[in-house]
Amino acid sequence: MATVKKRFGATDGWVNMPDGTSHYIFGFVDITGVPENQIFQYRGKATLLAPLLEAYEGDEVYLTLTNLGLPSRPDLDDTHTIHWHGFPNQIPLWDGVPEASISVPVGRDFTYYYKPLDPGTYIHHCHFEPVEHIQMGMIGPVTVRPQLEKELGRKFAYNDENTAFDREALIFLTELDPKPHHLVANVQEFDWTEYSPEYWLINGRSYPDTVKPADDPSFPQQPFSALVEAYEGEKVLLRFVNIGFQQHCIQILGIPLKVVGLDAQQLRGYNGEDISCWRDAIYIAAGQTVDAIFTAPRAGIYPLYNRNHYKNTIAGTAFGGMVTEIRVLSKP
Amino acid sequence: MPVIDLWAKDGYLSTPDGNSIYFWGFSKSETGPAQLPGPYIIAKQEETITVNLYNKLSEPVSISFPGQPVVTVGGQPVQPQYSDGQLLSFVNHAEPGGMVSYTFTPSYPGTFIYESGTNPHKQVPMGLYGGLVVRPADYNPNVKEYKTAYGAGTNTEFDREYLLITGEIDPDMHQTVEEGKPYHVSKYLPRYWTLNGRCAPDTMLMDHVDYLPHQPYGSIVMGQPGEKILMRYIGAGIDNHPLHPHGTHTRVVAVDGRLLKNGNVDLSYKRFTVLVGAGQTYDQIYQWDGLGYTPQNPIPTTLPNLRNMGIGDAGWTMWSGSPYLGMKGDIPVGVVSYNEFGEYYFMLHSHEELQITNWGEFPGGMMTWVAIYPSLSHDVGVLK
Ligand SMILES: [Cu+2]
Ligand SMILES: [Cu+2]
Repeated sequence: MATVKKRFGATDGWVNMPDGTSHYIFGFVDITGVPENQIFQYRGKATLLAPLLEAYEGDEVYLTLTNLGLPSRPDLDDTHTIHWHGFPNQIPLWDGVPEASISVPVGRDFTYYYKPLDPGTYIHHCHFEPVEHIQMGMIGPVTVRPQLEKELGRKFAYNDENTAFDREALIFLTELDPKPHHLVANVQEFDWTEYSPEYWLINGRSYPDTVKPADDPSFPQQPFSALVEAYEGEKVLLRFVNIGFQQHCIQILGIPLKVVGLDAQQLRGYNGEDISCWRDAIYIAAGQTVDAIFTAPRAGIYPLYNRNHYKNTIAGTAFGGMVTEIRVLSKP
Repeated sequence: MPVIDLWAKDGYLSTPDGNSIYFWGFSKSETGPAQLPGPYIIAKQEETITVNLYNKLSEPVSISFPGQPVVTVGGQPVQPQYSDGQLLSFVNHAEPGGMVSYTFTPSYPGTFIYESGTNPHKQVPMGLYGGLVVRPADYNPNVKEYKTAYGAGTNTEFDREYLLITGEIDPDMHQTVEEGKPYHVSKYLPRYWTLNGRCAPDTMLMDHVDYLPHQPYGSIVMGQPGEKILMRYIGAGIDNHPLHPHGTHTRVVAVDGRLLKNGNVDLSYKRFTVLVGAGQTYDQIYQWDGLGYTPQNPIPTTLPNLRNMGIGDAGWTMWSGSPYLGMKGDIPVGVVSYNEFGEYYFMLHSHEELQITNWGEFPGGMMTWVAIYPSLSHDVGVLK
């Protein structure tokens, strides 16, 4: 078992939408290994999504959260936390709920410890005033890999050879309502019961930005591409996450999906019964994750979109939003 | 034969931000307060039960029992009721000042809702709903194998049980109804979200507190490490709500009062978020086993100086100040801790996070705690 040491800074930043607008965010930035006298260079450099936290089953994960403050809102001294959403048998100290243990003030550090024992797809997010800090962007993916991968030298979603895959992709769903982002940037209050999103995001981007490369210089603070590429016949694991405030329904035209896991639990009954299932539409509620595998069909482009078609839009008008592409290539 | 008497009346709900909201609800007695949700009904499989509804409201009221195939009134199956050719009720109703008597025999155990079947688009969100629990025929709370949700041998044994009923409140609707004006349901816009009729932090208070006479049920879930805690979710509102308990997954053992089992094939599954749809019920076992840390087997990280940390930013905390169950630490001066015995608190809340506000203000709404105590009386977590 390995020891994984990570350090995330909590700070703010700005993200770009395809209509040329930019929006103020709170978020995390990876400062693992950055010398102490240089961490302040990362103020204002939060990313949407927050960095991926990845470990093998049985690893010991030490995750330090450093509150770097909010350079665009120097008046606001909010504390932050990291909540590993779905971690089984957690204790309050490492659960990241400010009302039930500790949160991290500006200029302070706190180290969370996790020894994950159940492989699957999880979420991490700040739990301080969660309606605000989650919508503002303090959200990221967590992947726990099964021991079986190490034993067999191949990739699996769970400790079961039926969950084998060749490639994996993250389909991380959120919404963005520009009003609270604007109001928070301008030191004003928002009535959250008026929440009404205008942008629909996969991996922190709105189509057509979703299919652009991870390192595209137009998105310095949105480092996750949502383009899925595979060769014909390859098995692709899609790790669906919904950490928006609404239910979503994702479909891939021409590709059925085998759902093998929900909420980081393989679909197995009490006595090990196989209860995996086929779906053409993945209904996923806020705070859920779904692991689904497909076999790449003949070469071509297969669009992935939200079946609630009004979410396939940019600011209510242009076609885009919660859309990406599966690009299947002929075998080389 | 068990007989339950319910009175439909009006009253005022209290919200933690100081609002008082007119509502309609069921009461246990002619002189008692209307309550949200209505009184829990505990019935038994194969045992005939009668529910008498006395209507003290100014319009007809009825009760529908989704999941009960045969409900009779006066020996005949219930039927829709029409007024001037217009549908008024899904089932037989009581006129204002009148009464109606429903009889049924639950044929299978489980968790169900009962709710108004008259103008339900208005009367159900106004508060005319409640929870119905049907015990299995072999239920015996004194014998472990027979203290189950679905009968011996169904892997549904439990140590404690809790009902958690979701709902929403659109204050405009309630005010419009109070003023006797027509309400446009398509304008439904909730500002409050409730568990067992209360908004957080009132959800965290005990049952039957004096200053919430119309909201007698708390939502705090209590248990001990390793215990099987049965959570019975009921979706009584119009919207769906994704409920997420911290601490661990739940095992969903039944949906809509039906055991997730086909013959010998167990179809139960674990989730960390369950979407409670309107009208649905979910029975789940929550079992928190912990990570085994004690002062003798200490945590592998160093507890920082708590004065340098954020604790109780709201002025209060549920934390003990110690990483260990059953221990207390040094909570900084000036912070009130509601922790009693070093118990652990895990939040249970809707993950549509705007629903954990009271009219936009966090904390509030559809949020409560699962509290794991080092030891806890057997009288806690009993539905009677
Ligand atoms: Cu935060
Ligand atoms: Cu969460």
